[in-house]
Amino acid sequence: MNIVVLAKLVPDLVEELTIDANGNALDSSFARLIINEFDDHAIEQGILLKERGGGSVTIIAPDAEGADDVLFTAAAKGADRLIKIKGDFSNVNNHALARAFAKVVSGIKPDLVLTGVQAHNDLDGALGPLLAELLEMPYIGYVSAVSINGDKVLIKKEYPGGLLAEMDVQLPAILGIQAAEEPPRYVAVSKVRQAMKTSSIEEQDASNLDPCGGSAIGRMFQPEASSHATMITGSPDEVAEKLVGVFKELGIV
Amino acid sequence: MPIRETFWNIPQWAETAQYVLGFITAVVFVYGIVRRVMRWRQGQPDKRFDHIGARLRTLFTQAILQLRVASEAYAGVMHLAIFWGIIALLIGTALATLDWDVTHLFFGFQFLKDGFYIGYELTLDIFGLLLMIGLGMAIYRRFILRPKRLQNPWPTLTRDDAYVLGMLTLIAITGYLVEGLRIAVTQPSWANWSPVGNAIAALFIATGDPTNRILHLSLWSFHILIAFTLLASLPFTKLFHIAAVPTNIFFHSLTPAGTLSAPRSADSVGVKAWKEFTWKQILDFESCTRCGRCQDVCPAYASTQILSPRNMMIKLETHIWEKANGRQLHSDVITADELWGCTTCRACSEVCPAFIDHLSSFVDMRRYLVAEGQVDAQLQKALANLGRYGNSFGQSERMRAKWTQPITSKIKDARREAVEYLWFVGDYASYSPTLTEITSKTAQVFQKAGLDFGILYDGERNAGNDVRRVGEEGLFETLVEKNVSVLGKCSYKKIVTTDPHSYNTVKNEYPRSETSEVLHYTELLDQLIASGQLKFNKRLGYKVTYHDPCYLGRYNGVYDAPRRVIEATGCELVEMPRHGDRAFCCGAGGGRIWMKEAEVKERPSEARVREAVSLDGVNTLVTACPKDITMFRDAVKTTGNEERLAVKDLIELVYAAL
Ligand code: SF4
Ligand code: SF4
Repeated sequence: MNIVVLAKLVPDLVEELTIDANGNALDSSFARLIINEFDDHAIEQGILLKERGGGSVTIIAPDAEGADDVLFTAAAKGADRLIKIKGDFSNVNNHALARAFAKVVSGIKPDLVLTGVQAHNDLDGALGPLLAELLEMPYIGYVSAVSINGDKVLIKKEYPGGLLAEMDVQLPAILGIQAAEEPPRYVAVSKVRQAMKTSSIEEQDASNLDPCGGSAIGRMFQPEASSHATMITGSPDEVAEKLVGVFKELGIV
Repeated sequence: MPIRETFWNIPQWAETAQYVLGFITAVVFVYGIVRRVMRWRQGQPDKRFDHIGARLRTLFTQAILQLRVASEAYAGVMHLAIFWGIIALLIGTALATLDWDVTHLFFGFQFLKDGFYIGYELTLDIFGLLLMIGLGMAIYRRFILRPKRLQNPWPTLTRDDAYVLGMLTLIAITGYLVEGLRIAVTQPSWANWSPVGNAIAALFIATGDPTNRILHLSLWSFHILIAFTLLASLPFTKLFHIAAVPTNIFFHSLTPAGTLSAPRSADSVGVKAWKEFTWKQILDFESCTRCGRCQDVCPAYASTQILSPRNMMIKLETHIWEKANGRQLHSDVITADELWGCTTCRACSEVCPAFIDHLSSFVDMRRYLVAEGQVDAQLQKALANLGRYGNSFGQSERMRAKWTQPITSKIKDARREAVEYLWFVGDYASYSPTLTEITSKTAQVFQKAGLDFGILYDGERNAGNDVRRVGEEGLFETLVEKNVSVLGKCSYKKIVTTDPHSYNTVKNEYPRSETSEVLHYTELLDQLIASGQLKFNKRLGYKVTYHDPCYLGRYNGVYDAPRRVIEATGCELVEMPRHGDRAFCCGAGGGRIWMKEAEVKERPSEARVREAVSLDGVNTLVTACPKDITMFRDAVKTTGNEERLAVKDLIELVYAAL
């Protein structure tokens, strides 16, 4: 079983985000990047599948500050092959990213591709479906459990409102992972250091980062502070009376 | 003429039998000891032959004088009575052997005669009585009082306890009876010098010969038989502590308590199976006398009963003797819950009369759990934050010095300009929103004292004390590297810390070159007050009590400085029953503050708050550790004592008295 997991880095919300001078992108010089949380789950799910049924796990990450860390950490968890796509990925959209991933992934001929179901910077759609289109593979998102069954995978998919579906899909396929079956494991720093010594990162070039098909961003701005809510207090009668007052004021009644 | 007639009424065959028995005993004894030592040698190497002089001194004070044993009244009197009773009787036996089998046999004279012999008889009689008293106390406590700390996890141990006490009692009683019978028959003129023996003799005089002679011979044989049996079984029973404990005391660690030894394997994976412990750690397990003192002072035991340091030692000891049966050290013998329960307060090691270093093995086992990723979700989050942002709060390092913003006169950036004191503020004091007021008061006190100080701003990282004690050595190393590289670029004379945890690791575990002198802020305040640099205008007049933070007190022996500062502010200090080196941990240490709380009846911090509340007239609990403040302020609320007790940092008193 040849499993490929895609991991991208997104701005870390611990830092205050700022918008660059053009007003249509984040100021990347201030942003600190962190692995997309859902991708972290995708890596965990990939490793769990390997531990259960064997095979190999390849992690592919676009070049960015911190990408090496993400890759070596995955190696410390048990990933076999690490690939970094070289190129300038600051402020590329998911359409461009999907094309870059597709090129590398198709060279690997995977049985199963896992990606986080979404990321907080998916402005033009989630990566999984875009990639599925390019690779002509089936895609299922919001997956929270995966088991391999011959040339199919059996998955659990979460729907809003707590609905759960079980379905199987023919391999090769792409899954958008909502949550791994186990929370992503902790890897000790010493293990990551060891992985840095024993594993190596292959580099592949992203020829051109073609953003076409994605939405263009006109303007980015900080959320505008809305006015504060007014709390209505008092006995139920008083509250009712005040509420009616407010309605009248607004011309509703 | 008073003279010792050894082997009175003992026929030649019995005397010979005794020597044969003695020889067999010696063989079994030596075999037993060798067997133990071979087991220790299966552990990993550890150099413990330095500072022989200091080691011998501790051996004298702790194995011979047994000062630590004596620190508890009942157990102390009991153990010392038994110990000295047996020692005196052993010396007596040795003298008798020397007298009879050496000087009498080869040189034709005896020294056990006249006045010396009379003194000998009297002394042995008294020490015999001492032994009886000690044994009586032990039996009463173990089988009648039955305190919880002596209760055993499995019955073989109870049989072992009973065997040893029973045998010693039998030896003492038969010894007296044999003496009494001898006196009853021979009725020497100096019999009064053996008061106990003489009193027993009075019971038998009426029986007369030859019954007494027969009785004497039978009891003598029985006495010899159990004495030798007990001696032969010494290496196989709890009596082995007679050999193991002094050995353990001799080899105990001489490095400061706050210096934890690094993992032995390069990849920091800790201990997975018992042979990965050092021989000294194995000797620790073997030395445990099951006295339960550690369990009595353990906050983890008091709150959850999941972890008892005593039971840990018992289980480890038993495990190293188990035949290969597939039981794994982790999970089968020691559970992760036990290991994570420990707050690393060091109360156990502080009271352990065998000088066992519990934490060295606990942390080695934790290291294995961390390497295996077996950490709870909350701890994982904290460690991930510490790795990524250098603080457990998961905030950007840019926010680290946010607390300084309201302070009008700017605090120097020690990375930019030379300072005398480099203030290592620490995570809790920097990030915790409830503590920043205290931190800012510290800054203001420093400023008012005219101190030349600066901080590292966003260059500071968590010092790593608890990261190390959680068992995440790799992360600890990373944090140390980062801090040391920043410190290396600064110019300062001394480091002062807010947090006793940072204080401990920076002082005891950081490379010396960067940490020439490290002070806790309470020590610095004490110096400033003594030198007159810090003067108070007010006398507060509160009645307060003081909680010793573990990493300040037990770990680093700083007990007096904070107390002097409290007194200087004009407060009256009332001590809690558990204070100084017996202070009861708040429960936050060793990474516990980052972990999920176990279901407990009473948290350690709550027990501590109740202890403070019970003091007459005391309305303030003072401490000198940001984590303590967090824990106790919470506990004051959960115990409903908000009205009765205020939790204050020492600096708040100082600030108020300025
Ligand atoms: S260090 Fe403290 S919490 Fe840990 S076992 Fe010892 S007494 Fe208990
Ligand atoms: S570890 Fe020390 S204090 Fe605890 S039971 Fe054993 S000998 Fe006693």
